Amino acid sequence: MAAVEYIQSMQDVFIGFTSITWKMLVMYGIGGLLIWLAIKKQYEPMLLLPIGFGSILVNLPLAIAWEHEGVPGFLHILYDAGIANELFPLLIFIAVGAMIDFGPLFRNPLMIFFGAAAQFGIFATMIIATLLGFDLKTAASIGIIGAADGPTAIYVANKFARDYLAPISVAAYSYMSLVPIIQPPVIRLLTTKQERGIHMALHEKPAPHWLRILFPIVVTMTAGIVAPISVPLVGSLMFGNLIRESGVLERLSQFAQNELAYLVTLLLGITIGGSMSAEKFLNWQTLLILAMGLVAFVFDTAGGVLFAKFVNLFLPHERKINPMIGACGISAFPMSARVIQKMANDEERGNIILMQAIGANVSGQLGSIIAGGLVLALVPLLVK
Amino acid sequence: MENLIETLKNASPAVQAIGVSAGGLIGVFATIAFFFVLIVAADRFGKR
Repeated sequence: MAAVEYIQSMQDVFIGFTSITWKMLVMYGIGGLLIWLAIKKQYEPMLLLPIGFGSILVNLPLAIAWEHEGVPGFLHILYDAGIANELFPLLIFIAVGAMIDFGPLFRNPLMIFFGAAAQFGIFATMIIATLLGFDLKTAASIGIIGAADGPTAIYVANKFARDYLAPISVAAYSYMSLVPIIQPPVIRLLTTKQERGIHMALHEKPAPHWLRILFPIVVTMTAGIVAPISVPLVGSLMFGNLIRESGVLERLSQFAQNELAYLVTLLLGITIGGSMSAEKFLNWQTLLILAMGLVAFVFDTAGGVLFAKFVNLFLPHERKINPMIGACGISAFPMSARVIQKMANDEERGNIILMQAIGANVSGQLGSIIAGGLVLALVPLLVK
Repeated sequence: MENLIETLKNASPAVQAIGVSAGGLIGVFATIAFFFVLIVAADRFGKR
């Protein structure tokens, strides 16, 4: 009897060792990979590092950080407080809104259409996902990876496909960080050297202050009328932008851009990582979702570039658009604009198209939340 | 419009996805076009 009790107590002591499964080991590897990408490659380190560490935390034996003996752990508490009710993505949007300067877009209003064209990847990927066997709601959530906008992806996935929230979030943030690797080959494939060398005139005239103030208000109201369900997304983004542009809330604007952004990003990252339990994450669907996330980014880029080439058919020679600008219509801001400027400079030293690229890039932010809102509005019309 | 929605409700997920894609792309372009008109109108108004 004493021997049995002894063995039992020893099992309790070493329960950490005896509970480890091969799936947990794989998740430690994935967590380690994300941390390595964050530190060594500096790919979205503010997100990939917390996500990687969170994924290790939640897969430690007994998953104490998530739940223990029916009591929620701190990751579970954070999940309920910020992800399940969509609070963290919306707070991030306030911060992002405070960072966005729509000035370059106001100076080059035609760039706004690339913010629509480069959402093509969302819809193409959604169709492909249904062909691969996903239901419409899950397919829509996978397609939204193509919004190139982490908070929108989290927001939509949380409403439509909560079981796939972790892989969708990881895919969204990972591919956003890989924009410098994903976009250039797609652009080169679809454009000629001559097209990539097109110069564009810079319009220096600043936008009137009243337009900068009116714009976020009108955008919010328009979104509220077109797709009421998108109001939390659009409203929080535009609220942040209004704080920035008002000119009387400089401290609040700086707080939103810095402390709020850093704090919520930190909590969002580790909580997303905390939702990556081995049981939910290690399956074929995760691999498919990761693959389709890449497809979405490729189609986004192609959609923007091809649309620019289409527009060029109707423009006089001196007003032609460098089609690389179209690729900036994805909302990976400002990384995509930087990539395109670097490509333009590599093609022809001194070719500056950065302001036009930023104009298209901020319009991508608008396009992605509008697309997200429309998906949220349209899908429930067809499936309950 | 209601007929179209009813038809799509009974269609396969792929056809439903095509329907959502068409509606989504039209919606995004229409909304963005409205913002474009707003910005251009503001620019013209500002010049006066």
